[in-house]
Amino acid sequence: MNDILKGSLVQLGAVDPEEYSRAFSQWRRDSELMRLMDTSEVMLRSQKDSQKWIEKELEDQDVNQYMFTIRTLTEDKFIGDIGLYVVNWSGRDAFVGLGIGERDFWGRGYGTDAMKVILRYAFMEVNLKRVTLTVFEYNPRAVRSYEKVGFRHEGRQRGFLNREGKRWDMLFMGILCEEWMNLQKKENI
Amino acid sequence: MRDLFRGELVRITSEEPEARAKVEVFWQRDTEFHRLADADPTRMESEKKLREWFEKQNENGFKPERYSFAVRTLAEDQHIGFFVLWLDLIHNEAWVGIGIGDREFWGKGYGTDMMKLCLQYAFTELNVHRVSLGLHEYNPRALRSYEKAGFRLEGRTRKDLNREGKRYDSLWMGILHDEWMQMQNGDQQ
Repeated sequence: MNDILKGSLVQLGAVDPEEYSRAFSQWRRDSELMRLMDTSEVMLRSQKDSQKWIEKELEDQDVNQYMFTIRTLTEDKFIGDIGLYVVNWSGRDAFVGLGIGERDFWGRGYGTDAMKVILRYAFMEVNLKRVTLTVFEYNPRAVRSYEKVGFRHEGRQRGFLNREGKRWDMLFMGILCEEWMNLQKKENI
Repeated sequence: MRDLFRGELVRITSEEPEARAKVEVFWQRDTEFHRLADADPTRMESEKKLREWFEKQNENGFKPERYSFAVRTLAEDQHIGFFVLWLDLIHNEAWVGIGIGDREFWGKGYGTDMMKLCLQYAFTELNVHRVSLGLHEYNPRALRSYEKAGFRLEGRTRKDLNREGKRYDSLWMGILHDEWMQMQNGDQQ
C-alpha cells in the first residue's frame, strides 16, 4: 500500500483554520481566481470571517466530506485546496472541487497532480464508484487539466453564468472507477 | 419495481418518537424478549426516557450510516417491531438489528418477512455489498429465520455469554449481495 496522499509535485495536507484563512483572505483579492473557482459574485472577506467559516466547515466534516490543503512537495508551501463531497452513497458518487490560490503555480501541472492524488484517494480509500465536477466554459486551462487526468465531458448547462454581459455554459465532467483503473494500468506499462 | 416497504405479512413504517416509546415501554417488560435481542443486563426505562432517546435520534438528523424503521402488520396494522441498519460507508457493508417486541407475533413468519424486506432495502436501495448480524446461541428460532432469509453462519465467539450460570456462544452470520441476488432469481423461477 502506497503513500496515497503524495503526488509527484504536491502532497495533500490537513486544513489549519488559521493558515487557511490567512491565505484565503489574500487569494480572495484576486478576482480572476474567484471567478474561475466559484459561480457566486466575487466578494472580499476578512481573515477573521474566513476563519469563522472554515472552522464551522471543519466541524461539519464527516464521512461525506474530505477537505485537504494542496502543498508543494519541495517546500511544503500551501498553494491551494481540494475537497471531495460525497453526493450519494448508494451510487457512490462524489463531487470534487479544486483551486490553486497561488498564481505562480498556475499552468504548471500542480492542479493536475493534486487531482490525480484526490482521484486515487476517492477510488482507493473511500472506495467510490465515480467522481463528478463542474467547470466554467471560460476556464479552458482547467478543462484541459481535468481531461488529462481522465475526466470525460458529460454535459453542459447552457448560459449558466453571466460574466460581463456574456453568458457562459457550465460544463459537467465525470470519471468512473473502472475508467480510472484502466488508466492506471496503461500508465504502469 | 417492487414496493420496498411492503412484504407478505408486514410493512415498514416510520413512527413518531411518542409511538415508538409507547410500545417499547411494554416490550422491555418482557425479559425474554430483551435477552433474545440483547446481551446487556435487562433494565427498565420510563416512557419519557425512551421518547427522549428516539427524539434525540431524530434531532441528529438524517445520517447515511443509519436507517431505522418500525414495522407494522399488514392485517391488523399493529406496531410489532423494528429493524435498524448500520452502514460502514467506506467498505459498503451493513449490520442489522431486528426485533419483534410483541410475543403474539413470534414464530409465525413475521420476523422472516421483516428480514426479507430489510435485505431487499439494503441490497436494492442502499446497494451494500454484504449484510452482517450477530445473535445468541440460545436463540435457535432466530437462527432458523435468518437462514431462511439467506444468511449463512460465518463464525462464533465461544462461551462469551453468561445467562443464569450457563455459558453460551455468540454467533455471527452474513449474506453477500450476489448470494441474495441468486436467491431472488430462484424465487422467481
